[in-house]
Amino acid sequence: MTKAVRLMEPKRLASLLAIALALAGCATESGSSIVGDDRPPGFLPGEVVTEQGQLTAGLYLPIFLIAVAVFLLIEGLLIFMAFRFRRRPTDGALPAQTHGHNLLEVGWTLIPAIIVAGLFVASMSVLFRVEARSESPAVTVDVIGFQWQWTFEYPDYTDASGEPVSLTGAGVEGPEMVLPVGETVRFRLHAQDVIHSFYVPQFFRKLDVIPGRVNQFDQVILQPGTYGGQCAEFCGLAHADMYFTVRAVERAEFDTWIAQAQEEANATPPPQPSGGVAPGEGATLAVSSISITEGFDPEVLEAPADTPITFELNNPDPAAPHNVAIRGGNPDGSDWIGEPIADPSSSATYQAPPQPAGTYEFYCSIHPNMVGTLNVGS
Amino acid sequence: MATTTAPHARAYPSGRTWVYEWLTTTDHKKIGVLYMTTAFSFFLLGGLMALGIRTELAVPGLQFIQPELYNQLFSMHAITMIFLFVMPMFVGLGNYIVPIQVGAADMAFPRINALSYWMIPMGGLLIMGAFLFGGSPIGWTMYAPLSVVEPARGVDMLLMGLVLLGTSSILGAINFMATIFKMRAPGMTLMRMPMFVWVTLVTSVLLLFSLPVLTSGLIMLFIDRNYGGGFFDPALGGNPVLWQHVFWFFGHPEVYILILPAFGIVSEIVPVFSRKPLFGYKAFVLATASIGALGFTVWAHHMFTTGAVFLPFFSFFTFLIAVPTGIKFFNWLATMWGGQLRFDTPLLYAVGFISLFLIGGLDGAFLAVVPFDFMVQDTYWVVSHIHYVLVAGSVFAIFAALYYWFPKITGGKLNERLGKVQFWLLFIGTNLAFFPQHLLGLDGMIRRIADYAPNAGWTELNFLSTIGAFMIAASILPFMWNVFITLRGPRDAGDDPWDANTLEWATTSPPPAYNFDALPPVRSERPLFDLKHGTVAAHPASVPAAAGQTHGELREDAPEERLGQPVEGHEDSSGETRGPGAEVSAQAPDATPAAGSDAADLPEAARQDAQKPRKPGEPE
Repeated sequence: MTKAVRLMEPKRLASLLAIALALAGCATESGSSIVGDDRPPGFLPGEVVTEQGQLTAGLYLPIFLIAVAVFLLIEGLLIFMAFRFRRRPTDGALPAQTHGHNLLEVGWTLIPAIIVAGLFVASMSVLFRVEARSESPAVTVDVIGFQWQWTFEYPDYTDASGEPVSLTGAGVEGPEMVLPVGETVRFRLHAQDVIHSFYVPQFFRKLDVIPGRVNQFDQVILQPGTYGGQCAEFCGLAHADMYFTVRAVERAEFDTWIAQAQEEANATPPPQPSGGVAPGEGATLAVSSISITEGFDPEVLEAPADTPITFELNNPDPAAPHNVAIRGGNPDGSDWIGEPIADPSSSATYQAPPQPAGTYEFYCSIHPNMVGTLNVGS
Repeated sequence: MATTTAPHARAYPSGRTWVYEWLTTTDHKKIGVLYMTTAFSFFLLGGLMALGIRTELAVPGLQFIQPELYNQLFSMHAITMIFLFVMPMFVGLGNYIVPIQVGAADMAFPRINALSYWMIPMGGLLIMGAFLFGGSPIGWTMYAPLSVVEPARGVDMLLMGLVLLGTSSILGAINFMATIFKMRAPGMTLMRMPMFVWVTLVTSVLLLFSLPVLTSGLIMLFIDRNYGGGFFDPALGGNPVLWQHVFWFFGHPEVYILILPAFGIVSEIVPVFSRKPLFGYKAFVLATASIGALGFTVWAHHMFTTGAVFLPFFSFFTFLIAVPTGIKFFNWLATMWGGQLRFDTPLLYAVGFISLFLIGGLDGAFLAVVPFDFMVQDTYWVVSHIHYVLVAGSVFAIFAALYYWFPKITGGKLNERLGKVQFWLLFIGTNLAFFPQHLLGLDGMIRRIADYAPNAGWTELNFLSTIGAFMIAASILPFMWNVFITLRGPRDAGDDPWDANTLEWATTSPPPAYNFDALPPVRSERPLFDLKHGTVAAHPASVPAAAGQTHGELREDAPEERLGQPVEGHEDSSGETRGPGAEVSAQAPDATPAAGSDAADLPEAARQDAQKPRKPGEPE
């Protein structure tokens, strides 16, 4: 422990960091989401923002202190013995051949047993409070994990057709869930394909999202803020990009937000994100998203330069939602991402802004391994 | 196995090469060396994969390795290190050392032993071949349904390879158990077995109970993947959590399969280099056995966050394991206390093991606290924990064992100066690589990601970790150079270079075919110590009273003079008759056929002597 810490001295670190930053400059691509608080990592937990999480984090310090005590005891003995009992040239006769000592041995069996029994009792009492579920949670969120995105649904808040308010992420930053502070929030976890894990470090909590079962847990968020989350169970290729955020707001703000979301859900058809061009104007490209493994058909699309592009996406895949995105397709150089996402076995139409002549990569923003080439020419 | 009279002729017909001999050998020592060299080759491969992983993680952003390859690398790194390095390395050490430590001529089933070995390179080839068929990007835990839907054919190759390795381990476990139960030297009761033999026995029991479960699970997964079995598919009535139960029912005992031999190695080395007996031998045996038993009660602590397991039960037993593990630490410390510590490389590694494995034990105790596990499960905290257990634990113990037994295996002692250079590189590198990962995990950095956010404050610690990984890699170079120059140098280490306690040091270095001409009597867990210092010094109270003999009589009975003599004649490894023991054994008929051949291999005097302390009904 001491060794590692000593090597993290600021002076040495500074030179290492210079190299690190130079290397980071060569990065082709980097995530933008932040998970956890913005304090640097340390020996103690960072900021924890839920009632249940703070209970758990409260267990950390006593265990840490016990661990440090045991660590110092044993390392201290080792270092002491390394000097005190080192063999010397004068050592001729054998040292005393002690085979055991009953009292000592009983002692170092019983004392650790008592310590761990205490830890067990303490951790169970916290566990039962962390796991406790409210009779009537104020807000329930259905979290649906799939390769490699999240959908958040509010079953208590429906649109005119009775469908719950639903948010699905499109880009790497994923969807944003809005929740009221100071009230019990119930998370119900559903998986569509493989196992994921719903993890918000500042909740100090994760729970796996498993196909075929619905896991649930309650949290009371204590302070407003935006908290990053990420899938914590390895789920395939783009597992590292399964981010989301939780924005905790006061109740009034939450009510305004959810009402607005209901209104947007009622508006048909959904508003087109960018371009402002009516369907049919400019070039129209038809493309099918066959599956995660087989990708798009066709894989090469042609479009004229400086003309709005309409994508007519047919998604015959019964297993996964898809969309179309263009790498560097927005005027500011960021990726253009087509929304809304086409559900399994359905279709969607997207308006992309005009592109200068050149070769672009188009891809599915949910499954970044599904790529094709978009040739924009004269 | 009838006699120790080694054949005068070479063991294979003339005109055939040493290649033929090594390919067809059933000698436990040669098979042990094959195991160890194979394991070491895979260690290098797995290490290269780790360097790839750490290079990509050094700074945020994707620089060198895209996620497609990254996911294959971290999966294969774990598979390689666990199944193709640590396991075969310990089996190899056990293969070489255990039969000699119990005074046997070979393993109980030499041909099955050869079969077990040859499944390792075959399985290893299949597993490495997966890289040619899309790899196996499913993690070493192979969680369904991801492992079921992953289209890469490499996954099927991995499953087939693992079934081979599993079968090999099952056969090996049976072989070890038969050897240890049936072929011990006269006088070597269970409670006089060297600690390395004890841990091999317990490990074999764990293998025998856990590997069939894994192997069945692998076959179920193969059926699910290829024939729509539906074992783990909820749409077909299966359950993905079932895979985790099957996997971890194997996987947790597996952790002890990877660490108990390390405990045994440290328990061999610490007493020898302290010139004291192992403190609390009986407690140590009981602790080993209870760790083995408890190992089967905690598997679902890997599944706390599934929401599908009974948390208090698994948490309780996980905490409980800390108790026998703690006993071991205190026993090692008490063994060193008041001793005369000689800090040669083996002890340096053993002490390094104790001081660093401690961290792996303490951060593991945090994980037993279920609510805290909810936070750090699947984060770098867990990565740090497993590496403090498997690198600071198993790998340190492996190097301790290699430095300790190298003179026995080759006759040449590894260079101490290079050994110490390697130790300090590895010691510092290990801490640098893995300690910062605790802090990253506590801050929420999850494992199995090729990239992380640049603004999360994780860059510095990851960069340190990468430097540590390269230091670990650098520490392997002095070791390989050390082995190279030692093998080229004179093999003059002698039979007992460390002034050791157990039977393998009572024969030549390297031991002849069938290992012994004559065995010293076994009156304690330190027969060679008794031979050198007399049993009175070692057991002032118990021995003379129990055996009704004085120290002098025991020494008179012991064929120790014979042990001293054959040394000169033992340099030739091709198997000439060694010392007077061979003549004696030729005179001795198979007097105790039911009890195996070992008693018959002994000089008459030693054999009679050996009958005395054996209690009726005790397995020989």
